[in-house]
This record gives sequence, C-alpha cells and structure tokens, in this order.
Amino acid sequence: MSLADSRKIRLLFLQNAPLILFLVLVLVFGSLSERFLSPTNFMNIVTQAAHIAIIAIGMTFVLLVAGIDLSVGANMYASCIVVALYMKGWNPVFGFAVAGFLGLLFGAVNAFVITRLRVPAFIATLATLFVGRAIALYLSGVKMIPFGKEILLLGRTTWLGLPVPIWIFLLVFVIAWVTLRLTTYGRQVYAVGADPEAAAKAGIDVRRILFSVYCIAGVCAAIGGLVSASQVAAASSTFGFQKEFPVIAAAVLGGTSLFGGRGGVVGTVFGAILIQTVENGLVMINADPYVYPLVVSAIIFIAVLVDSLRTGMLERLERRKIRVETA
Amino acid sequence: MTPAQTTRLDRPAPAPGLPLWRRLLLSEYLVLFLTVVYVAGMALIVPEILTADTWRDILAAMIPLLIVAIGQMFVLVVAGIDLSATSVLAFSSVLGAAVITMDGGPLVGLPAFLVVAIGILAFMAVGGAVGAFNGACTTRFNMPPFIVTLTTMMFFSGAAIWVTTLLTDDGSSIGSLPREFVFIGQGRVFELPFSLLIALAVGLLAHVALSHSLFGRWLFAIGINPNAAAVSGVPVRRTMFWAYVISGACAGLAAVIYTARLETGTPVLGQRILLDVVGAAVIGGVSLFGGKAKVLWVVFGALFLTVVDKGLQLLGLSLAGVFAIKGGVILLAAIVDAQRQRLKGRG
Amino acid sequence: MFQKQVQAPVQAPLLAVRGLCKSFFGVQVLHDVGFELAPGRVLGLIGENGSGKSTTMNILGGIHQPDRGEMVLDGQPYRPKGPKDAEATGIAFIHQELNLFKNLSIEENLFIGGFPKLVRGLPFIDRRKVRARAKELLAAIDLDLDPATLVSRLSQGERQLVEIAKALGADARIVIFDEPTTSLTARETERLFGQIQRLKGRGIAIVYISHILSDVMRLTDDIVVLRDGHVVASAPTRQMTVDKLITSMVGRTIDQIYPPRASRPREGQPVLEVEKLTQPGMIKDVSFQVRQGEVVGISGLMGSGRSEMARILFGLDPYASGRILVDGQPLERPTPEAAMARGIAFLTEDRRAEGLMMDGPIADNLALPSLPNFAGGFGRLIERTRLGDAVERTGRDVQVNARDFVQTLVKNLSGGNQQKVVIGKWLLRSPRLFILDEPTRGIDVGAKYEVYKIINELAGQGTGVLVISSEIEELIGICDRILVMSHGEIRAGFDRAKFDRERIMRSAMWDSVTKGGR
Repeated sequence: MSLADSRKIRLLFLQNAPLILFLVLVLVFGSLSERFLSPTNFMNIVTQAAHIAIIAIGMTFVLLVAGIDLSVGANMYASCIVVALYMKGWNPVFGFAVAGFLGLLFGAVNAFVITRLRVPAFIATLATLFVGRAIALYLSGVKMIPFGKEILLLGRTTWLGLPVPIWIFLLVFVIAWVTLRLTTYGRQVYAVGADPEAAAKAGIDVRRILFSVYCIAGVCAAIGGLVSASQVAAASSTFGFQKEFPVIAAAVLGGTSLFGGRGGVVGTVFGAILIQTVENGLVMINADPYVYPLVVSAIIFIAVLVDSLRTGMLERLERRKIRVETA
Repeated sequence: MTPAQTTRLDRPAPAPGLPLWRRLLLSEYLVLFLTVVYVAGMALIVPEILTADTWRDILAAMIPLLIVAIGQMFVLVVAGIDLSATSVLAFSSVLGAAVITMDGGPLVGLPAFLVVAIGILAFMAVGGAVGAFNGACTTRFNMPPFIVTLTTMMFFSGAAIWVTTLLTDDGSSIGSLPREFVFIGQGRVFELPFSLLIALAVGLLAHVALSHSLFGRWLFAIGINPNAAAVSGVPVRRTMFWAYVISGACAGLAAVIYTARLETGTPVLGQRILLDVVGAAVIGGVSLFGGKAKVLWVVFGALFLTVVDKGLQLLGLSLAGVFAIKGGVILLAAIVDAQRQRLKGRG
Repeated sequence: MFQKQVQAPVQAPLLAVRGLCKSFFGVQVLHDVGFELAPGRVLGLIGENGSGKSTTMNILGGIHQPDRGEMVLDGQPYRPKGPKDAEATGIAFIHQELNLFKNLSIEENLFIGGFPKLVRGLPFIDRRKVRARAKELLAAIDLDLDPATLVSRLSQGERQLVEIAKALGADARIVIFDEPTTSLTARETERLFGQIQRLKGRGIAIVYISHILSDVMRLTDDIVVLRDGHVVASAPTRQMTVDKLITSMVGRTIDQIYPPRASRPREGQPVLEVEKLTQPGMIKDVSFQVRQGEVVGISGLMGSGRSEMARILFGLDPYASGRILVDGQPLERPTPEAAMARGIAFLTEDRRAEGLMMDGPIADNLALPSLPNFAGGFGRLIERTRLGDAVERTGRDVQVNARDFVQTLVKNLSGGNQQKVVIGKWLLRSPRLFILDEPTRGIDVGAKYEVYKIINELAGQGTGVLVISSEIEELIGICDRILVMSHGEIRAGFDRAKFDRERIMRSAMWDSVTKGGR
C-alpha cells in the first residue's frame, strides 16, 4: 500500500469519526445492556434528545455566522416560566406561540446589542444570560413552578406512533434544513459566516442576517424549552441552567465550526443524539451517575480532537499539492 | 486606500484638548472611575458601603477572583480562553485538601508548615496539569480553545464531585484542614489579610511577566498575529502552552485561598464565578481577540465586579435582583467598551 | 500577440469623470481627477501607492462620495450612494482580495447577491435555473468546471475567472480590475488577459489597475497616471513607454531603476551551502551556495518550488533529505529559531499574514525577532532603553517614513514603508544570510529603489543575500548570479556576465521547452 493510500484511509476514518464513534458506543452499550438496543429505547433517546436538538439547531445558525449565544438556557427558562405561570389550561399551541414570541424577543435583544451596539457576542449573551435568569427567577419567586397538565400531556401523547416531542423536533429540523439549503437567506448565512466583508460587498445585508440568526436561536431556545418542559413537569430554579454547554457541544460534535461558514443542522441533530445516546447508555448499564458528565465530556472531547486532526491533515495535503505550471 | 495611508504618517495621540468625557471614555481608568461613581451613588442609599467592614468583605471576595482573572488574562492575550478555570478551583480544592488530610500517607509526621507547603504545591500542580492539558490540546492539535476548555470544564467539574464521593462518606466535602493551612485564607500579617499579600505578589509577578519580560512580549505578538510571530522566530506553541499552564496554576492558587477560608475542600467551589472571571478581565479592557491586556485593568475589572456585587447585597436584593443588575452591568461595560473602540477607531 | 486584435472603435464615452475632488480629515487626496471610459476599451490606471487610484475607484464603486466633481454615465449624471447603486448601474469591481466565499460552490457565489426564485414572492431558490445560468456564464469565460464545485478547491486563477463570470452575470458594463495578477501564475495571467480581451469584444469598458507596467503596456488602450491625487499623464497607450510611465509616476527621472552594484562577492567559505535538499512534493535535489557579499537570485514561475525552498531553509517547513550548511556548519534542527540562531533572516512573500503585526506599532514589529537578544538575566526581562535605541536606529537606517515608531501602527503605513519595517526587523539582527521572498511585491517604484539599495548595502557589508522574485528584470538588475527553478528543481544558473532574459525565461519554462512546447 502506498503512502498516499494509507493517508487516504486515515482521512476516510477521520472524516467519519463521529459516525464510527456512534457505532462503537452503540455496540459497547448494546453488549452491556440488552435493553439498550430495543427500538423503544432508541425512541426514548430521540425523545430525550429532542429539546437539545431543537435548541442546537437554533445555535447552528448563530455558529454559522461565527457568533455564539450563551443565553439559550436563560432564554429557555424565562420564556417557559411565563407559560408555566400564566397559561395553565390554555391550548398548548398557544403556549408554544407565546413562548416562541418571548424567545424571539429575547433573541432580538441579543441581536440588537450585538449588531447595533457592536458588543462581542460572547459578552453580550453572557450578560443577557444573567438578566434572563433574573427575570425568570423574579417571576417565579425562586420557586418550583409546575407546568400545566396540557403541556405534560403533550410529552406523553403519540401521533402516528411517534411522541409529539419528536414531531416538533422534526418540524423544526425540516424548516431549518430547507431554510439553510434551499433559500437565498440560508446561503447568505453561509456567505456571511465565511467572510462578512466580502458579503457586504456582494450586496448582502450583513446586519440583517446577523440580527436574524440570534432571533432564530431565541425562538428555538423557547420551543426547545417547552419540549423539555413536557418531560420534566416543573420549572425549578435551575431549569435550563448551563443548557448552553450541551447545546454548543451538540452543534460542534456535528461538525459545525465555531469560526463560521461550516456545518449544518443534520450534523447538529446527529450530535445531539450522540450525546443523549451516551447518557442513556450509561443509565442502561447502571453506571455511577457521578461519572456521566465525565464520560459525556470525554466523548465530546474525542469528537473535537478528531475534527481538528482531520482539518490539520487536510491542510497539510492541500499545501503539499504544488501547482505544476506549464506556460 | 485609507486616508491615513495617503498622509503616510500616523495621526497624533489624542490631543489634550479633547472634551473631558471623551478623554475619560478613552482612559484606562474608566472602570475605576465607574466604580467610584457606583460607590458614591450607592452611598446615598446604603451608607454602610463606606464602612471599613464592607471594604474588608469586598477585598476578601475580590482577592481569589483577581488571581483567577489574572491567570485568565494570560490566555486571553493570545486570543484564547480558559473556561476550565472554575472547574480547576473545584477539582484542585478536592484533591489538594485530600493530599493535606491524607490518613497514613507519606506526609504523616512531617512538620505542619511542610505539609501545608506541599499541599499548596499540590493545588497548583493540579491546576497547572489541567492547564497543560488545555495548552497541549490547543497548541499541538489546533483544537479551538473555547471547546477544549469547555470540555475540560465539564470533565473536571464532574470529576471533582465524583472524586469527593469516592473519598468521603457523605460525598459533600473534605474537612478538618490544619490550622496552618486555614491561616492562608483567614490569617493576618501586620493587620493585612495574608491572602492580600499573596494577591499582591501574584499581581506584581504577572505584571513583570506580561509587560517587562520576553515571555510577555511574545504573548502579545502571538495575540496580534501568530503567523508573523512564528516567522519571526517566536516559539508560538511553547509560549501559548505556558499561558494555559499559568491560567491553571493561578486557579489552583485561588483554590488554596477559597479552601482555606472555608476550611474544607469542596467540589462545588467556584461554580458560579466562571462568568465573573472572564467578565473581570474583559470589563477591565482585556480584549477577547488577543493582543491587549494589562494587570492593572484586570484589578479594576475585578474590583468593579466585586463592588457591584457587594452593593447589591447591601441593598438586600434577592438573587434575581443581583443576577439582573450584574448582567446589566456587564452589558453596560461591554457597550461602553464597544463605543470606546469605535471612538478610537475614528481617532 | 493578441493585444490589438480587437480594434476598439472610437465611440462616445460610456463614463466621463470630471473634476473629482476628495478630502479625508482635511487632507485633499484627489485634485480635479478626470478621465473617460469608452465601451470596448481598456483604461490603465497607474500610480504609486497613495497616489489616489483606490480613492478614485472607490468613488466609482460608490464606497466614497466625492466632495466635488461629476460623473456622467451614458449622458446621465451618476451619483452612487453605495456599492449597491454602482452594481445596479452595471459597474463591477474585481478586488485584489477576491470576494468569493470559499465554503460555497461556484454557482452559489455567482448568485449570492440574489438567486433566481422558484416562485415569485417565496424565498426558495430555483436550483435548476441557477445551474443553467451558471453553466452559461462559465462557458462564456471558457471555464470548464462543474458549477457545483466548491470555490475552496479552485486555484487562484480560476477564482479570478469566476469573479469575471460574476461580473458578466450582473450585466456589468464597466469592470474594474484592481491588481488582478499579483497572485496568479504566468499561465493564469495569460488566461485572464485573454478573457479581458473578450470582455472588450463585448463592448465592456475596463479599468485595469496594476503595478506591473509591462502588463499595462500590453493590455491597455489608454493610460492615466496619477500622482499625489493629480492626473499627471493621460494618453493612448501607444504613445507611452515604460520609461515615460515611471517618470510620470515618480515625478522625477529615475536614471536607473536599479542602483549599481558596487561590491563584489567575497572569496572563501560560503555563507550558505545547500546539498541535495529534497522534500517530496515540494523540492528535489536542490544544491547551491551563497557566498559572503553575494546576491543570488532565484527565478521561477509560481509553483516552481522557489518559495517552498525558502521556507524549508528558514525551518518553517520540514525536509526529508539533504543538508543545509551555514558557515560550513550543518543546520540540524529545522526550526525558525535554529535558523535565526545561525544568522538567517527571512522576508516572507505574504507581508500582511506573516510579515507584520499589522495592529502593532512600528517599534514592536522591528523588535520582534531580536527580543531574545535584549532579554537577559533572571526572568529574561527586556532591556527597554537598549532595545528602544536599537529599534530607533534601525528604523531610521531603513528610512521608515513615520514620525513616531512607538505610536504609529504598521497598518497605517504605505506598502513600501511596511516592507521597510519587515526588512528593518531583520537587519536589527545583523543577519549572515538574508532570504527575501518577493521583496518588492505590491510596493511602488520609489520604494522598490530603496529596497534595492538596502540589498546592495547588505551585500557590501558581507551578508549573503538570496532574492526570490517573479520579475526577471528585477533579478537581472540586482543579482550577481541567478538560479532558475522549475518543478522543484534548479534547472540553470547564470552569472552576471551572462544574464539573458530570454534564456532565463526559457529555463523557467523548462517543461514546455523539453516537451516541445504545448
């Protein structure tokens, strides 16, 4: 086997590493626990991953323009606490509408501070994280607030054999995928992420794009929050606390770059499911619960490491290719 | 072509004739000034803010935060970030306390001060090791520092709790630390808190390292343009690596102070100050994009955040209120900084 | 030669620019600039850096608004408020740094400003139409590529052509090229020129901005020379010569573009000996020497391995086999630090990305490579006064034009002054061997002369100099010896007495010559 071949194989391996990792995990957990490989359990995994996936889809838009939104967890808490407090007994559709609108508002505030006041996204959303949690804590009086029955029912209802949270997740996913792939807006998001200056010169309204992605992230955070609410029954004062970490991890695990312009929602969904698979598998094999975060973070780490190795290798390959010039 | 290029000469430094507010806005003492204004405003509502006791509290709260933030600054200069600093606090608190209180280990029979010294080294070594791992990942494998330190943060926060459950029966904390160790957090020398002396030493060392040493110059060069630095013979990877080690070691040292003050090693130490750490540095004026930092700025930033916190406490605000105002203050500082950059850009 | 294939009929001007004036911060950078563009003609716009070319073009492109003066497009007053207005009126701007998105495909780049829609009023892209239009546009510029190819996979020259396709797609009537050939290979340049001829044939008016005067002479129908914001010459190209252009650009006659070589290489131990240096895919069996006080030029086309060799010598890239000896002693560890310790200095071809800290002051840039020499004792603290003095002296020596080295940021300097800072930072180390990769790229004639002078002085002091350049004239003008690289190997060497442009060129294109041309 020539040098080039072995390099190609290595690259092929690195390129599909998250998938390989996933398969390895499934095999390991499957061999340790019989219950793990059942279809019901897989459905459980997806259902549990749904809210992270939804929020991470919103986060993907932000990461694509090289931004970041640390406030999604706070947004999720703030938007959902309103539904929990004031919308008991309402049709859950209204709940989603109201939460979505509040999430949008929250996102718009982020967007305003970032695009108009030119505060770096990291700091801006850090600040709104505090403010958002504060508003929610104030509204809830730092008490555990149970969600209305209709929200809880939502979590247990199935439609065409699939739980409603999965349907909501699929809906968000399809809309996001179509938007990014098949609309002018979506393609411009990628363009802005790759090079905002060039995008401005190409006549793209860069500020509008930047503004909009934070709004999208806001809406997704709120919707994801309610999906999560349908599973946890009540909003405690830690509802959504540090949710930004698994969310960003899911997107990055799925191949979305933190530097903008690269990635997509398919990968993000995969990342969210991968994380949930690990957690679920650990439960199935009765691992010490204190070990969960260790394993999950180690797996995210491996995925990012592999991604970096791959990028580095591709770069080296590119550099080696001297363009032979014939005049 | 920019206008500056046509004249081919730089514009002169801001003229002294600028309006006062603009000079203030552009001054590096802006944050200190804001602190004074805040205290003055608060004093009208809660006069206690001017008492010596209050300031003792502020100092006590500020010292460990400052030490972590100074470490963070070294990473920020090279356009990195160290989110793992708070997990280092927790992890080294547990491990360090475990080393000191070990039953029947090699430390038994040694004089107390030696045990304490070894303990402190253990704290810093744990921090330095985590930093070394972060540094190795970012420099060797070119992994984005944000993600690397995010995962190490998750990992070591979890590890701190897990280790505690292994080491103790109730899994909450590791107590009964020796008196000599507790002194570091609570003792006084010449009427001054001992921890203040540590902070002063760290600050001074950091200042010399950053602004007067070869290492510091290299850090700035890397922060501004890592490629140009590499082509100019700067050992980019090695320098960046040490920045992360310093950040970890500083967090370890801060953990010593926190732990000594609480008299127990606890795995939830520092969970809530992650944002304060980065915030203190950035509010002071350290750029998240690298190449801009000063120890004094971090001191101002840490002071500002702590004073704001204390003021809110005195007001008797609820947790929600503290969160809201703190968030607002960080936001305000960031907006002011952004406007300031814009002003500077216009010259 | 194709240059006058398309006979441009004399027509009414498409765009007339009259009396443009513009000031920034009270400094007037344009004084009554005027010229005319006619359909199917190429206007060359030349001038030193800072002469007002870019400002003029930015006014045309709607980025700046003039203080005074008027522009008339097709008999109508033309007052663009922004880049979008310019685009809408059919002015396309092809910048030096291309405005393409590497993460998107060719077709997406062509339509990123506005995709054809599937249904009017809905945001969905009509993929099929995009594909069809993209194919048409690519065919129009003879680019045989799948429109779905990612731009990141295209060569620099292909990207340039995609930009042209984009201009065609926007129905541009005026296309402005700003230094389009700086990063193109010779072949890509030819291809670009061929396309510019075709644009002419379509009746498009073209503005061509370049420092490479021979290209301007070849390609353009008219030339306008700017100096300090004034139009100092404006005439049909056939009435111009390169000498005349230079004279009007710099405002004085440069009797010689190249200062005379005063010193001769010294006998004895060579500074640099390279023996059979090989790195697969980059260079192969490269062997040569540089003596003290000798200026050796490396000629070769882009991709010939010349820059790669320089980077290997300086330890930036590894090598598989061979030896590098400095002053007779082998250079073992291939790192920049090790190379610098042995007295090697390296001026990179990419000033912005690798040469300078653009956001840093001049003084810090000058000091950077020498810092370890000024850091002593415990903690390696910097000796500030000694460093400050040395920096100041070197900065003045290389004549960096700035009042205050500590305050002035490098990004505010002209290209020529920036290059002097890069040279200065290496001179501060008193190098034994100075490797300069494209030392005069993108700097104006006056600054070039000063760079040549510095190289001469260095050689006079006994430093070995290795100059890499794509301009053969430049190498002929300043070198004692020229080596020619092609396909990663050294194909020929010429001593000063035997310099011959033709033969050097032919060796550089060794491949096409031995294979009987293509």
